[in-house]
Amino acid sequence: MIGILIAKFKNFIRNPWTFLIFTGMSLLMAFIFGGTNAQEVYIPISTVDKQIKDSYIGEQLEKEEGINFSWMSEEQLREKIETGKAELGVVLDNNTYQIIVGIDSHNTGLVEQIISRIYYEKQEQEKILTIVGQDETVIEELNHALEQPVFEIESATFRGEGAFIYDNSLHRIFGFSLFFVIYTIAYNVLPILIEKRGGIWDRLILSPVKKSEMYIANLLFSFLTGYFQVLVIFFFFRFVIGVNFYGRFVETILLLIPYVFAIVALAILVTALVKKVQQFNAVLPILAISMAMIGGAYWPIEIVESKILLLLAKINPLTYGLEILKGITVYSYSLQELLLPISILVLMGVVMMGLGIHFMERRHI
Amino acid sequence: MIELIDLTKKFKQNFAVKNLNMFIEKGEIVGLLGPNGAGKSTAISMLSSLVEPTSGDVQFENKSILKNPSSFRKIVGMVPQEIALYEDLTAEENLQFFGRIYQLRGKKLSKKVDEVLEQIGLTDRRKDIVKKFSGGMKRRLNIGVAMLHDPEMLIMDEPTVGIDPQSRNYILDTVKRLNAERQMTVLYTSHYMEEVEFLCDRIYIMDKGNLIAAGTKEEIKQIISSEKTVSIKAEILKHDFIQALEENPLINRVTVGEKEVTILVPKDANVFSEVIKLAETNGMELTSVDNKTPTLEDVFLHLTGRALRD
Ligand SMILES: Nc1ncnc2c1ncn2[C@@H]1O[C@H](COP(=O)(O)OP(=O)(O)OP(=O)(O)O)[C@@H](O)[C@H]1O
Ligand SMILES: [Mg+2]
Repeated sequence: MIGILIAKFKNFIRNPWTFLIFTGMSLLMAFIFGGTNAQEVYIPISTVDKQIKDSYIGEQLEKEEGINFSWMSEEQLREKIETGKAELGVVLDNNTYQIIVGIDSHNTGLVEQIISRIYYEKQEQEKILTIVGQDETVIEELNHALEQPVFEIESATFRGEGAFIYDNSLHRIFGFSLFFVIYTIAYNVLPILIEKRGGIWDRLILSPVKKSEMYIANLLFSFLTGYFQVLVIFFFFRFVIGVNFYGRFVETILLLIPYVFAIVALAILVTALVKKVQQFNAVLPILAISMAMIGGAYWPIEIVESKILLLLAKINPLTYGLEILKGITVYSYSLQELLLPISILVLMGVVMMGLGIHFMERRHI
Repeated sequence: MIELIDLTKKFKQNFAVKNLNMFIEKGEIVGLLGPNGAGKSTAISMLSSLVEPTSGDVQFENKSILKNPSSFRKIVGMVPQEIALYEDLTAEENLQFFGRIYQLRGKKLSKKVDEVLEQIGLTDRRKDIVKKFSGGMKRRLNIGVAMLHDPEMLIMDEPTVGIDPQSRNYILDTVKRLNAERQMTVLYTSHYMEEVEFLCDRIYIMDKGNLIAAGTKEEIKQIISSEKTVSIKAEILKHDFIQALEENPLINRVTVGEKEVTILVPKDANVFSEVIKLAETNGMELTSVDNKTPTLEDVFLHLTGRALRD
């Protein structure tokens, strides 16, 4: 088995083009369509009174996750909006604020809600202060109380229910990686077909090598190249571009495994069902592209409404792969919450691999 | 040593091989001859335990190999019809890979690789990538790979298809030498008569899944001893002339080539004057009329009414 793997790796080094092309394509596409200003919504903000930035309001805005409030002058802000570099901007005064909208999106409501909440909190604080006077201990206690509320309040925010969070650049990285890796994996499973037709398998069958070793070596190799490809892409975005994967890079990488496994299984099933390499070349793009479209690699699945497409999405490994990756990062799900898609992928993988090997063995090519 | 008993393989409704009976003794070179689609490859795939027969049995030293092929697999080397090599690896790396598959390691492996390279005459091309090899070199390496584990028996499926005469002679000589020096048993499949005539002690001829003749070279040629072959050559073959030949009661069979007509006639018949007369009446000029010594090609023609190759 080690011998087969060594031969595969040697072959890979002589002929790394499939791998390089699809890795390059993933990087390029994710880069072009994802943009680089990453995961936070960029909102320029300016103040009428300089002190606001260092006051309670400024502090709260800085704490806000998911939105990057960038301080600048009002002219700069208007220019950003006019040139389309920002969707909207906010001008703050001591007791009022103004939202300037360039492009209306769901972010407008989101920003509005955040700002109004902060102003409301500030007013509440001020009201209390006027009643109790300037007693330092009271202020301290008040702040403490605000941070640790007496009642646990379940807060369903705007970002939580109903609406979905859409992190464009991360979505593109995930989407294109999961899409292009299908090709790399499939083209690494394809040699089984070629070697079967070409007689190399016959040679191996006559040798002391076991059938199981032949399959394991081939599938393991496909898995490793596929996994390696996604790793290269993710490492590039993490450490070169600086996308931080919501601080869960390691988890992201580990939770890729079920998806890569399922795709290896899918590839062997397809390889077993086609008769010729030409058929394989015809089927693969159709399969990969429809999987990407239905599974939400190009656009978020959340905007799809067609019942049929949603049904198809349910049997599409890419849907679950994407769900896991976004779940672990954008939605900060725990492992338990992702157990379902992970199990589905593993199950799909086992079933498809079983069927694939069965068909492969039944048909004497 | 090995025996095929009523071996049959059906693909859907078609018989690729039908009730094939065959045996090979130790140290023999046996030829399996037949045109495209005769069922040669299917037969030897079953023989070498790669394809399961629909019915019948393959016995190695009187034991069936269908259930338990491992003892036979150990002693057999298979040269497939296709080039079964890693095209992106070098000749040496291919040999190392397949050697390792046969559990050769270290010094033993490199010694064996050197030895095989020497045998197939590729020692000075060992570091070259197979993709860049000529057809003949690939074929030689294809054979070399099958010899790494010192098989007692070599099964070769059309090992000389599509290569230059030099490589072809090299391969034929190698096979003869292996047989003479190491008493290697060889089953040689081909649709080239000359090769089989040159190499083999005994010959089996297949057509459309059926065995149509078997025996030593001499025995097979005996089949047509009651007939002889006459070759008629002309620059232009007229249709009327051919029709006249076909209608002639003396002539058993007429096969038309490009500038040549071959006829089968009873051994003692004198057809020369007959042929020349027919040519004259049809206004045709003949280049030559020759008696041919029978070849296996003629046997095939005799048995099937078709030429071995188109
Ligand atoms: N896997 C298969 N499925 C269906 N039919 C097959 C299969 N393999 C062979 N056949 C058919 O069986 C017949 C014999 O094929 P086979 O390859 O054994 O012939 P052959 O004598 O080796 O011919 P060639 O000289 O072209 O190699 C052919 O008609 C072929 O189409
Ligand atoms: Mg054949």
